[in-house]
Amino acid sequence: MVDAPKRGSVVVPVESTPTLRATVTHLVESAAGGEFSSIHFVVFATWRRDDPDTADREAAVDRLLERVATWAEADLADVDDVEVGDVEVVTAIVGDDEYLFGADDYVRELAAYADEHDAETVVLDPEYTPVGNTTLLQPLEFALSSTDLAVREAPVTRPTRRERLRKEATGIRFAATFALSLAFYLALGDPLYWFDLASGVASAAVVAITLSRISLDADPSLSRTPIRLLRGAVYVPALLYEILKSNVVVARVILDPRMPIDPTLNRVRVIVGSGLPITTLANSITLTPGTLTVRARDGNLYVHSLIPWARDGLFDGSLERWTRFVFYGREAARLPTPRERDDVGIFQGPDATEEYPGTRADGGSIPEESTREDSPDAPAADGPVADAAASNAPAADGDEEVTAE
Amino acid sequence: MIDALGPARLALIVVFSLLGLFFTFVSMTGVIRLPDVYSRAHTASQADTLGAGFTLAAVALAAGWEGTGFKAVLLVFFIFVTNPTAAHAIARAAFEEGTVPWTEGDERR
Amino acid sequence: MSVVDASLAGGYAVGDFLLVVAAGFVVLAIGMLYRAVKGPTMQDRVLAVNVLGTNTVVILAILGAALSEPTFLDIALVYALLNFLMAIAISKFTVERGGVL
Repeated sequence: MVDAPKRGSVVVPVESTPTLRATVTHLVESAAGGEFSSIHFVVFATWRRDDPDTADREAAVDRLLERVATWAEADLADVDDVEVGDVEVVTAIVGDDEYLFGADDYVRELAAYADEHDAETVVLDPEYTPVGNTTLLQPLEFALSSTDLAVREAPVTRPTRRERLRKEATGIRFAATFALSLAFYLALGDPLYWFDLASGVASAAVVAITLSRISLDADPSLSRTPIRLLRGAVYVPALLYEILKSNVVVARVILDPRMPIDPTLNRVRVIVGSGLPITTLANSITLTPGTLTVRARDGNLYVHSLIPWARDGLFDGSLERWTRFVFYGREAARLPTPRERDDVGIFQGPDATEEYPGTRADGGSIPEESTREDSPDAPAADGPVADAAASNAPAADGDEEVTAE
Repeated sequence: MIDALGPARLALIVVFSLLGLFFTFVSMTGVIRLPDVYSRAHTASQADTLGAGFTLAAVALAAGWEGTGFKAVLLVFFIFVTNPTAAHAIARAAFEEGTVPWTEGDERR
Repeated sequence: MSVVDASLAGGYAVGDFLLVVAAGFVVLAIGMLYRAVKGPTMQDRVLAVNVLGTNTVVILAILGAALSEPTFLDIALVYALLNFLMAIAISKFTVERGGVL
């Protein structure tokens, strides 16, 4: 296998949690920093291999592992100084040959797996609770402490904007922000006039000092930015063509006296990195008349579509493909479409395939399941988010309703 | 200065501004006719993209590349970057407030 | 002689034509004002005002070209940015938790 034994392997038990995405990033970063040579993402099977009716659960687990692997690859691609193949990403299902009860069984399986793959470390996702058992994490850590595995919790928190807003300042970020602001200033002014030059440098410096660590959350890479810009230049005409096409179709629908619209809210899981790539994709979707991005959550885009034609276009994923092309190259563009991956859902109308994910739906009833899934996002769970705002909110909300009436 | 493109350029100015006017008209019709805030946001993006795009292209042609035409192009770029973001913020605010999208058979809002 | 002074047809110049187009945009803006007044929800109004703002930007740009006033384009740029800020700020504060963007 790998002939550098001093860098060990790490085992990470995973399940679908809000912090999973950040945990994957943390692991990839640790591995890129030279801490691990291979990362094993494992899922405990809650069924036995030869049980009947396990196909669905197995499929769900397979999808989860596939997603984790894709995230890890995307993160690896984002780390510049790591060769592909330098860090190994493995996914596995463990314990599908016996029933697992209690924390001890899980730990035994985990230790066996770690032993088999020469792993000495276990990293836990802070929100990890296997099979929805909320009290298991503590005993799991306790039981793990009796083995000779090193255990730590991934230092991630719920990815709220508040924590992501400020990153550390680096020279290259400062330079990039400065250059961009100065270029914009001089484009509006006269680059040959000394006053414009001097005031431009001053204001660009102010912008770079105050905003360089907010507007850029990673160092712009000198090797990658030019090629991305180039591919972006190829993307713009393609996007304009899409916009033109859907403008004509939507214009016909709107001017039609019968107005045959059939709006629905849909979900589509997209495989693009967080930050700029997903912003580009969501903006492109919104720019195209007939589709409108309403929310982005955990790699899912909630997209409102005006007519079935636009919805089909969305599920065919040509914009997603283009975005992957712009940011990751031609290889990545060849992934299957959302429809082929079966990662799409329709929330409304006669073709509905999933429950409406309302946060505070006024009309319909909210299904129990989705309420619980949403609860991590609900205001109460957000804890530190703007105490002052929270205390003002009810009053403001009340006023709103009075004026709206 | 009228360059060699003369008549073609004038024709393009006329065609582009009329197209821009047309798509903004469609957008206005949609904003008035459509039943809820989400569907209105779709048609608002028509005014933002082709309505503003074609008209500003006409402006750039009329003003020439020296100075103003460049700013018209910059303006298109700005509109294309900021307006979908604004539309997303508005739609998301509606979603967070619990507005359920209109579907076939609902009452108009 | 600049492009806007070029004769189009029947003695009218391109600049005159652009002024007529700008007038058309003003009429459309009045149509959109209906939605801003009627609502019914806050988001409808914000959306209508946002579209109106884009419309204003376009009108400013057309006037800038038609009247040969290059500074109008700068005003249009600033207006476009303010329009964006307006939409974001109002969306943010109409939601109680302020978590939009």
